[in-house]
Amino acid sequence: MRFSEGTHRLHWATAPLRAFVFLIVYFVLLGFPLLLTQTDDGVRLELSAEVAVRFLLVTVPMTAIAVGSGLWAWLALRFRIDGDDLVVETGLLRKRRRSIPISRVQAIDLVRPLVTRVFALAEVRVELAGGEQSEIALRYLGRRSAQQLRAELLARAAGLPGHTPEAPERHLWRVPFGALLGSLVLRLPVLGAALLFFASLVFLVMYAEGGMLAVAVPVLLGLIRAVIAPMVMYANFTVATSPDGIRLRYGLLETRMQTLPPGRVQAVSIVEPMIWKAIGWARVEVTVAGYAGERQALSSTLLPVAPRHVALHLVSQVFPGTHIDAVPLLPASSKAVSVDRADGAGTDDVVFVSRHGWPCRRTDVIAHARAQSVRLTANPLQRLLGLATVHVDAPPGPVQVAASDRDLGEARAIVESTARRAQAARRAGGDPTHWAAR
Amino acid sequence: MAAPPVYRADQAFAPGNGLRWSPNSKRHTWHRLLAAALWAVPVGAVGEFIVWRNGGGPVAAAMWIVAVVLGVVLAGTVAELDRRSLGYAERAEDLIVMHGVFVKRLIVVPYGRMQFVDVTAGLLERWMGIATVRMHTAAAATDATIPGLPAAEAAHLRDRLAQKGEERSMGL
Repeated sequence: MRFSEGTHRLHWATAPLRAFVFLIVYFVLLGFPLLLTQTDDGVRLELSAEVAVRFLLVTVPMTAIAVGSGLWAWLALRFRIDGDDLVVETGLLRKRRRSIPISRVQAIDLVRPLVTRVFALAEVRVELAGGEQSEIALRYLGRRSAQQLRAELLARAAGLPGHTPEAPERHLWRVPFGALLGSLVLRLPVLGAALLFFASLVFLVMYAEGGMLAVAVPVLLGLIRAVIAPMVMYANFTVATSPDGIRLRYGLLETRMQTLPPGRVQAVSIVEPMIWKAIGWARVEVTVAGYAGERQALSSTLLPVAPRHVALHLVSQVFPGTHIDAVPLLPASSKAVSVDRADGAGTDDVVFVSRHGWPCRRTDVIAHARAQSVRLTANPLQRLLGLATVHVDAPPGPVQVAASDRDLGEARAIVESTARRAQAARRAGGDPTHWAAR
Repeated sequence: MAAPPVYRADQAFAPGNGLRWSPNSKRHTWHRLLAAALWAVPVGAVGEFIVWRNGGGPVAAAMWIVAVVLGVVLAGTVAELDRRSLGYAERAEDLIVMHGVFVKRLIVVPYGRMQFVDVTAGLLERWMGIATVRMHTAAAATDATIPGLPAAEAAHLRDRLAQKGEERSMGL
């Protein structure tokens, strides 16, 4: 199938799936209560003729509405690739046309929630830069055609003809189950919470003190949120590189396939909590301009856990031509007073690196070519000590790059040199669109 | 690449290269003072009403008025200090803005990174003939705002910035 020829619809199974979901919601909220009868000794489930008639009288029109709305939604959405644009038309009576320049695509995600896996369906999410409304979600396409659509969009974004087959990928890393579980448990807050949980259980049993439940239950919920939820989300995490960018695959119940085209990653951060540092593990977080709001939190992980050298290798894939450990870091001023101690900051021609934090160490990296603006700030305490902080601004995301507590004169020199390097990098790098055709 | 010039500590927040900070209009202070005074009227009136209801004497009423007036004077003083701390300079490849009384900030925005520039003026600002110019990049932290420019100068600055941005635009 070629998406540049003719107009396309979502997979036909979308209509029954929508109707099905609608009916489930209806049944839980209204249908099931209709089957119940109020008697003297409480509510009972009783299938008399009267109840059946009452139930059918509501259910039949509801089914019709469900099927109708499912069909309507399926008929209403059409899309095609028109030259350099992805055109999405919605509405049957009132038509709305949205055309998106493919060169603006920041990332393409293939999401497969649990229900849709039965039908071999997948959702295609196209992320664009700017704002909450800037994603296109096509729910749902057939699995094969979703992959084809992604390949075609990426090929066109790269400046190749649309029928170019999907670029081959090179496997980079797979996070083993044990390492993921271990990494989630071996964190100071999690260990502390677990200790608190067991302590409260001991108190509960030894002194038969029911009040301890008020401690145990919230702590348990917190532990589930901190360990089980990421466990399910990041299970089977694999990273691969390809000419189209970095490909991520993960998820137990809902599988996601993310593709980050080259030059779309704005900034990365290598996070090493204290216990991980001893084992030699690290996590990589990433800022991509497309993801806003909730999607930011969902897709800001480039690697949930890996040996440090793998994480560094991945970062040098993201920002080619540099190696983070080879960037010389100049220590912050000895006059600084801070708990979140700055370790230092440094730069080469490609990236600006700052490292800080105790006990959890973060190394923040931004490419000069991606830096938006440079700021120099000095709060009253810093001014008293003759210090200042240099921020290199990235689009909103988990990564904030800042070289804190530098001597004033040095700080200004960093600002100027960073501005100059950013300018040179922008000149050399040019526009990140059409990366294959350059 | 040539070795970066070394800055003296007291030159850290200077424009450098023999440039001078362009100030904004003195009317900006008056605008903020006027805004504070307009706020002070209802605050003073409500305070007086409460004092009167609770049976406070003329001394209490006078103290309240003095407090409100002091508040307005303080707001005006901070506004003037704030105005004096503000400066901007257009360089070859970027715009630099310096601002802040308590926390000093210097921000360098490359022309090629500006997504859009907007000029806003409230009712009071329009009447006083001043406007605020704001530069937007893809980073939310970029807080390059020049308040209280004379309206004509603000429009010129916006046009110049827009033109320079157009010439050097790079996408994200």
